Amino acid sequence: MTRPPLSAEHREARLGWWLAAPAVATILLVALFPLLWTVWESVHLHDLRMPWLGRPFIGLQNYLEAIGDARFREALGHTLIFTVATVTLELVLGCGLALAMNRAFRGRALVRAAVLVPWAIPTVVSALLWRFIFEGRSGIANALLSDLHLVRQPPVWFIQAGLAWVPVILADVWKTTPFVALLLLAGLQNIDASLYEAARIDGASAWRQFRYVTLPLLRPAILVALIFRTLDAFRVFDLVYVMTGGGPGTSTEPIALYTFNTLLQNLRFGYGSALSVIVFAVTFALALGYIRFLGAGLTETRA
Amino acid sequence: MLRRQLARLAQLRPDIRVVQRATPDAADQRHQLYVQWLNAGASEPDILQLDVVWTPEFAAAGWILDLDRFRPATDSFFPATVTANRWNGRLYAIPWFVDVGMLYWRTDLMRSPPTTFTELDQDAERARAEHGLPYGLVWQGARYEGLVTVFSEYLGGFGGRILDGTRVTVSAPPAVRALTTMRDQIYRDTLVPPSALTWHEEESRFAFQNGETAFMRNWPYAYALMADSATSRVAGHYAVATMPAEPGGHPTAALGGAQLAINANSAHPDAAWAVIEYLTRPEQMLERARGVGQFPTRPAMYDDPALARALAIPPAQARTIIEHAVPRPVTPVYTQLSDILQIYLHRALTRQLDPAPALAQAAKEMQALLDRVGLGEGGMRATR
Repeated sequence: MTRPPLSAEHREARLGWWLAAPAVATILLVALFPLLWTVWESVHLHDLRMPWLGRPFIGLQNYLEAIGDARFREALGHTLIFTVATVTLELVLGCGLALAMNRAFRGRALVRAAVLVPWAIPTVVSALLWRFIFEGRSGIANALLSDLHLVRQPPVWFIQAGLAWVPVILADVWKTTPFVALLLLAGLQNIDASLYEAARIDGASAWRQFRYVTLPLLRPAILVALIFRTLDAFRVFDLVYVMTGGGPGTSTEPIALYTFNTLLQNLRFGYGSALSVIVFAVTFALALGYIRFLGAGLTETRA
Repeated sequence: MLRRQLARLAQLRPDIRVVQRATPDAADQRHQLYVQWLNAGASEPDILQLDVVWTPEFAAAGWILDLDRFRPATDSFFPATVTANRWNGRLYAIPWFVDVGMLYWRTDLMRSPPTTFTELDQDAERARAEHGLPYGLVWQGARYEGLVTVFSEYLGGFGGRILDGTRVTVSAPPAVRALTTMRDQIYRDTLVPPSALTWHEEESRFAFQNGETAFMRNWPYAYALMADSATSRVAGHYAVATMPAEPGGHPTAALGGAQLAINANSAHPDAAWAVIEYLTRPEQMLERARGVGQFPTRPAMYDDPALARALAIPPAQARTIIEHAVPRPVTPVYTQLSDILQIYLHRALTRQLDPAPALAQAAKEMQALLDRVGLGEGGMRATR
């Protein structure tokens, strides 16, 4: 029995696979393997501090515990609040900033560079900075509030459940708006100037130009910014870790901090892994959702 | 300091070579590193410096050697430091130096320290009214281990405890009174500033050192740091005492400090013991007291005038406080229990919950944890 000779197309496909193999293997190794490992851990009881309990298979018990875990549900809620608040603010402010930077004016290059400074500062440093601003009697924020006679008794920001969010969200908005602005600026520069010219000739107001020309054409850039920022905000960790440590109580504890505490402080590998898998599933679903609902234009082939 | 002591040991015992390994200063990180090493069955390091609350955890996990085989002279140490290092009746670590929570008070504002919480409130109020101090009392109120140590001192002062054998007793009436007192000191009596709920040791020391408060709860380290009149407004005007207690309670000092233990997988347990035995001798402890102000764990040393010259704090005062030291719950899951307690204490102190429901919920979760790992009512399980 002789094998029929492979067609040229077949041979090429096979060569293609061989050429792609290293890349595929790398992806499997660095992305899929840790993920599967985490899933495997999450169906076991694995408590590093209690080796006498062994490491038995316990099915979905860790997941059931997570569902019944009030602190986990609250952390999920906090993460959502943080994500919605920061992403909305950053998008609105970033859009304004991008529109401003898109105008031709003297010193534009300097402004563009200056805008990036907050983004360039390491998060831990900016978190400390913002903590000092809002801390105690000596903080700038409270000095400002009392000098302007806005409050009679300056608040202690970090001991009130609602107020503690203010510095955290402000710090994130301050740091990340420039990043969003730059992404949107890139999008703005791709828009053909002749479209605005045409709109002006048709007598469209500035608002209508923005609404019917800028926004639709900016959609791909907005989508990219949204995905990046949402996923980033969902994983917020260092900022909260430094500023509030999740307090007061656990009222600013995001999901990443809770998972970190479970995994690395309490060394509950099994349960912590289950939490990580849930977080992964949520972020993955979010990303898919964005692409589906907003990204129709992004995945279509352009004529 | 340690290097010098080890160099002397090398002359005494040329057959033993000790290599020092640096570990993170932060307790949490050091703990994490130890757990990773020990869990992997590493045979090094042979000797571990443990925080006082880790011993039962490491002992129950089978990670450190039972030291009774070396017949240590346990009765020459403060009893509380020995209790804290026992698990299931066996000794697993030797107390190296001891740390205790204490009440710093201003000798220029009052003649003697308060002995009850009621007196403390009155003294603080008077000092504040007469001398215009912004605060009366400061302590460590951030959500971290320090808060549990402060609470445990109030709790002891009201006659309560966190754990009674296998039962969590942190929701009992004395605990509710202790936590209510802490909260009232902030909001009702306004003696403790609300910002203290974000403070660790150093922030409270700054407040005391700047003369802003009549009292401070802190550890011994602050004593020597505040003695310099160039940086401290209270230099020469403070002393220490045991935290106060109400009738029915006992003045209580949270017990901290370091212990030395031997890795269960160590290839040289006898040499490791020789090193520990050497480092915990009175001469070495005296040198530590002189060099870094750490309290010896041997009560007999407190009668020695040499210690009085070595320590900034008068040894008689220190000794009285150490004799009131109470270990935090001696259980392998202490850190997890403390984690739960920290959250509910902080929620109550930041007025998200009232003290009674906060402690009830904390007790419920803590008991559930004990039951889940087999350390609850079902009886103590034996270690490996």
